[in-house]
Amino acid sequence: MGDLVRSYGKGLTAIFVGFVVLWILLMIVVPQITMIDRAFTYQDRGGETAMLAVEIDRAYAKRFQLEQQVQQAQNAADADTGLSAPSIGTPSIGAPSATAPSAGGLPQPSASAAADGQDDVEALEAEIAELTAQIRELEAQEDLSSGEAGMKAEYSLRNFTTMSGIHFQIFVMTLLYAFCVTILSFLICYPVAFVIATTTNRNRLALMMLGLVIPYAINELLRIFSWIMILEKNGILNSVLNFIGIVDIDAGEGIRFVASNGAVFTVMVYAYVLFMVFPIYNTIDTLDKNQIEAARDLGASAWKIHTRVVIPHAKPGIAVGSIMTFMLSAGSIAVPEIVGRGLHPDWFSQLIYRRFFEADAWNQGSAYSLALLVACIVFIFATMAIFKVGIRDIAR
Amino acid sequence: MSVAASKNDPVGFGHAGAQPRVERDWANAILGGYVVVFFTVIFLPLLFMIAAAFNASPTPSVTDWQGFTLRWFRELPNDQRMIQGLWHSLTIAAGVIVISIPLGLSGAFILTRMRSRGSSLLYTVLVSPVLVPGIILGVTTMIFWRDFFGVQAGLFTAMAAQSSFIASYCMLMFMARLQRQDRVLEEAALDLGASPFMVFRRITLPFLMPTILTACVIAFLQSIENYNTTFFAIGGSWTLVTEIGSRMRFGLSPMINAIGVIFVAITIIVAVTHTIMTRKRA
Repeated sequence: MGDLVRSYGKGLTAIFVGFVVLWILLMIVVPQITMIDRAFTYQDRGGETAMLAVEIDRAYAKRFQLEQQVQQAQNAADADTGLSAPSIGTPSIGAPSATAPSAGGLPQPSASAAADGQDDVEALEAEIAELTAQIRELEAQEDLSSGEAGMKAEYSLRNFTTMSGIHFQIFVMTLLYAFCVTILSFLICYPVAFVIATTTNRNRLALMMLGLVIPYAINELLRIFSWIMILEKNGILNSVLNFIGIVDIDAGEGIRFVASNGAVFTVMVYAYVLFMVFPIYNTIDTLDKNQIEAARDLGASAWKIHTRVVIPHAKPGIAVGSIMTFMLSAGSIAVPEIVGRGLHPDWFSQLIYRRFFEADAWNQGSAYSLALLVACIVFIFATMAIFKVGIRDIAR
Repeated sequence: MSVAASKNDPVGFGHAGAQPRVERDWANAILGGYVVVFFTVIFLPLLFMIAAAFNASPTPSVTDWQGFTLRWFRELPNDQRMIQGLWHSLTIAAGVIVISIPLGLSGAFILTRMRSRGSSLLYTVLVSPVLVPGIILGVTTMIFWRDFFGVQAGLFTAMAAQSSFIASYCMLMFMARLQRQDRVLEEAALDLGASPFMVFRRITLPFLMPTILTACVIAFLQSIENYNTTFFAIGGSWTLVTEIGSRMRFGLSPMINAIGVIFVAITIIVAVTHTIMTRKRA
């Protein structure tokens, strides 16, 4: 600290320290403590208020379900008028739905199937309106009754222990999938990083670096989106299969690749693979290439060269890449939301989202977030221990 | 090179178990082929996306070609929500830059000059936002501002949540630059009677200027492109990217492809310019 004052003077030092203190307090530590505090605070909703709260939650859930159904019916209706084969009940992502207006240009719904769909939609919408009124009434009652008085808040582990079996299963599966994404990304990336780092042709190197930087800089959502075009029912993959003769699209045989765990997994690897390439490339790049030559001249096999020379040197890069990839995929909300279409088994991040924004259970949402955070921290420390690297090597 | 070396190896020592040349050529060919496949898989989906932006078909497709059109680009400026979202994104990005750069600088100055044992802990705390999943940053920021200050989730919380990790990135960049600083200049100025503030303004800041500019660009891009953190922290409002995300969930329109083409074009221009500039300098 004395060094700091000597170089920049008391005034500037005070400003620097002040900024860092604000940063730590307002943006890092206290927000985390707030979340942890909520995670361990169980609101015992005893008595009448609790009943009301449960009823309100149920009404919200019901309304959400109905809205989903409307969405599906509309999509199906649109799909009927559009190009695809009828697929009632499964939301086809082919056609733009009413909620995403694409100004004009849609063929008029004329088929009788579409008219039926319209009736369904109207019936559902009436039901939704009814529920909305009911919710408003219940909420008014809740305000009138005891307010917060009926809620007893106490510290306990119940936000965690009341996690249902299914949610716990999703938690474990999410971590498992994220782990597999990490391993697979490493296997895919390592040869690429090695080739680029050992290229001696400068033009080729510049070209390959551009080839990595451009997709890396393109928005995550767009990269995900480009895959939906391939995987959807009327997509490119089905067209290829149609061409080969495996499926017959005209007969409605297209395979719906989206909304499956496989699709989510594939897109996740595609979306996050580049976060693995760069750190590994950076570390292999600093390796003195003469070491590889020396090992080779001394008779080491290709396998030995990699396991004894290159990989030990690239350890910090591999650790960083693994941590980033794992963290991004375990916490990914974009891929499961967009590729999963709410149909494939949930990802844990989606559960967290619903706790907060649909079930209005912030404390339980905090508990779930904390569980995810702890899992990531455990992964970081485990990776650091396995690769024997320190925190200073990791974040550069 | 090693082949030549082992050929000239008079003792034949290097030949003991070295791979024969033909085998190595094969290995190189396979590696090269693999890299080509890798880049093809990376770029092909993006090319499909670009192509579909110019297809007249109302659902994004490349297999069902209904003629070339620029309609989807022309419709973009009429989409009020998108334009509004773009403004929100730009506002947040400006705020993020204003917050992150001073925070990143302060952290970097303290950490590069601190020699005590606490520095490791401080470092860990300050880089932790980079290593934590984005949704957690969004969640904690949202809860914190509502519980403590009654601020509902919106543009401000999105800005705060993004700044928490973007400031860490900036700090890492500044630290890398400061570690290469030759401090003799500062010492000399101090010895010659310059005030510490003068030294900071005339020597330290100019030395950091290129990195500050780069950090601004990176912070801007990170902020505009962020989805995970913003998705939670933004509440009822929206940015360009969260709007694109919700459109994607509800059904696809070639307008999304058109936006994609614009993003890709900007990315390529920036990346190519950057590559050319760094190569010239080298």
